[in-house]
Amino acid sequence: MEKLSSVAKALEPSPIQQLSFLAQQCNAINLAEGFPDFVAPAHIKNAAVLAINSDFNQYRHVQGICDYVAQKMKEMHDMSIDPLTDIVICCGQSEAFAAAIFAIIDHGDEVIVFDPSYETYDTCIRLAGGVPVYVGLDPPYWTLDPYKLEKAFTDKTKAMVLNSPHNPTGKVFTKDELEAISVVCTRWDVLAVTDEVYEHITYDSRSHVSLASLPGMQSRTVITSSLSKTYSVTGWRVGWAIAPPRIASAIRNIHIRLTDSAPAPFQEAALAALRSPPSYFKTLRSDYESKRDCIFELLVKVGFKMVFKPQGSFFVFAELPETCYLSDIEFVEELIKQAGVVAVPGAGFFHGDGCCSRRYIRFAFCKSNETLTAAAAKINELAEGDGRLKIFEHGKLRVPT
Amino acid sequence: MAESESTQNSVPKPLQVAKRLEKFKTTIFTQMSSLAIKHGAINLGQGFPNFDGPDFVKEAAIQAIRDSKNQYARGCGVPDLNLAVAERFKKDTGLVVDPEKEVTITSGCTEAIAATMLGLINPGDEVIVFAPFYDSYEATLSMAGAITKSVTLRPPSFSVPIDELRSLISKSTRAILLNTPHNPTGKMFTREELNAIASLCIENDILVFSDEVYDKLAFEMDHISIASLPGMYTRTVTLNSLGKTFSLTGWKIGWAIAPPQLTWGVRQAHSFLTFATATPLQHAAVAALRAPDSYFEELRRDYLAKKSILVEGLKSVGFKVFPSSGTYFVVVDHTPFGLENDVAFCEYLIKEVGVVAIPTSVFYLNPEEGKNLARFTFCKDEETLRSAVERMKKKLMIKKH
Repeated sequence: MEKLSSVAKALEPSPIQQLSFLAQQCNAINLAEGFPDFVAPAHIKNAAVLAINSDFNQYRHVQGICDYVAQKMKEMHDMSIDPLTDIVICCGQSEAFAAAIFAIIDHGDEVIVFDPSYETYDTCIRLAGGVPVYVGLDPPYWTLDPYKLEKAFTDKTKAMVLNSPHNPTGKVFTKDELEAISVVCTRWDVLAVTDEVYEHITYDSRSHVSLASLPGMQSRTVITSSLSKTYSVTGWRVGWAIAPPRIASAIRNIHIRLTDSAPAPFQEAALAALRSPPSYFKTLRSDYESKRDCIFELLVKVGFKMVFKPQGSFFVFAELPETCYLSDIEFVEELIKQAGVVAVPGAGFFHGDGCCSRRYIRFAFCKSNETLTAAAAKINELAEGDGRLKIFEHGKLRVPT
Repeated sequence: MAESESTQNSVPKPLQVAKRLEKFKTTIFTQMSSLAIKHGAINLGQGFPNFDGPDFVKEAAIQAIRDSKNQYARGCGVPDLNLAVAERFKKDTGLVVDPEKEVTITSGCTEAIAATMLGLINPGDEVIVFAPFYDSYEATLSMAGAITKSVTLRPPSFSVPIDELRSLISKSTRAILLNTPHNPTGKMFTREELNAIASLCIENDILVFSDEVYDKLAFEMDHISIASLPGMYTRTVTLNSLGKTFSLTGWKIGWAIAPPQLTWGVRQAHSFLTFATATPLQHAAVAALRAPDSYFEELRRDYLAKKSILVEGLKSVGFKVFPSSGTYFVVVDHTPFGLENDVAFCEYLIKEVGVVAIPTSVFYLNPEEGKNLARFTFCKDEETLRSAVERMKKKLMIKKH
């Protein structure tokens, strides 16, 4: 009895989740999944405990979250957002994004997505009946080619998805790139849906610029973000969508039917999180920056082709050197078996047949210094005299396709 | 073509939301609640308690937060919770299910329903619901592209008109959506009714989605899960949650139990709707589901006491009160008070009497069918219920014609 919907049948289980499972089975050090293994900030956890004890446990909408989010958007991007009409609190950025897509995409609508990209966007769009159209970012710096972008638009294009800071590459879109995007979105009268979950994790004094803050963009952009990455509480499921009132209202109406409300005690705790002082964000950034530097140096040392240093997020997208004839998946399997360290093969982030789609490995460095040091030690054990990984010499006799 | 529209065009094109949103408006609950606050009315409309959940469950959540269980849980659920759900299901129905393959944890039953519909329904499939029905069903079904057909349960007994149900079945019928104990009427589907529905489903190869969130609030008879009837488990998705049973409606911990092939569809949709469910609250849910029998007995006793305060009060005021076997709702006929329909009555009740009830016409595909009825809830502390009854006794006048 085949009772699955046609969309569900077309979906495959998440490769990221599968690898995590294998890693667990091998007791491997997990540099694959994008969540911290260090503890969440005490002031935020305490706020959650207080909320539970104060009986904030029934359905609720905590308007204060909207007030703080609006305030932050003003501080960071000089945007004027109405906390009463423009913000929808959701179960994580995941739900905010899903609700936004369902709110704006009709069957057959095309949605432009940059490649590589986080696997969920594709499926969300398809679930809503939309058609993802991919525009490849050009390696090795993952630059946006405005000509390629322009060519992707048709009169079926309804929306465009932008994730910056970017998973998996760590790219932070520049002001020029955002301007090019805004010009073409305006010309084609298209909506933008952004994923800005890494908005507070940028490096080298680089700032995250929100696409919606560009002239003419606020009225056509849905911003999605959450507490998860900024406050290291990925398991709390509190996020939001920011959009012009009419679209926010549509997103709210869908959200209410999808989940009805985000977990109440964590909404309350979100207030404490969003009130964190500037020093919190400074420390967050500098801690992650030193982790980035450590892992980047390690990967260079052991022989990866490291041209592009992550500008934001807590991922590094390492390229396999030419001498390595293993594919990304084969490499990751070897790394699990030989070093007991797991990372994510880049293939799952690419759509289409780009030449580079099997050459990248994503490492997450949102891990404690102990974890990163242990992982480095295990990886170094696999190095030869010159410091390069032995694995990179595997499959030397195989003829590359 | 967009290019020919210059910026000189002073009338901005309205940003288009998706066509599916025709079904998605602000809920009646939000509207009534705003009105209630404005008039200082006692809210017997919204179905969540004004008292809190049990300490042992809240403490378990706090412990989980302190034990650093604050990152992403496995998408289909914390293994311990999947197990606890399976154990509880076995205790309640006698059915043995595999927690790893047949249980999925979601952000509330609301999300379980949404994931079930999106994962198992194809655009154009027909789904049969029993009116009056929980108002989210219709909107969510339209999101999945389903065609909703309804068969009406009529007062005073709200029994299932099985011939009418049979006549609605066509080759396109994919599923029947069942809610027992039933919101808003409090009806509990009898064994005879469930057997008749089961026969139709088996005969016509139809699925059942059974929303059983009020299963522990069964007063006049035992709750029966349709999945436990012969031949039914293989075609049923049983949906439930923590919220109503443990007075923690804001935690959003729900689940779907179904055979592996159906679970797979539910999980696919779920992973793209919310990705994962609040981790510390899942851990606490384990403690909740393993509560001793005495917890559930006390729950029933408390609610029975509240029910009798409300029902006696409503009868003494002059409502015709229909018998409610389960849930914490009762439905009444308001026509003795001479108002033209349920919305008018409920507005009058808020403004002139200071009590909130929900107009039931929103729970029907054809609102006309519900215009004589209103829904009251008794999930409030006894003092609140008594105050509401007092207000009605003082100010609700039967209009003499």
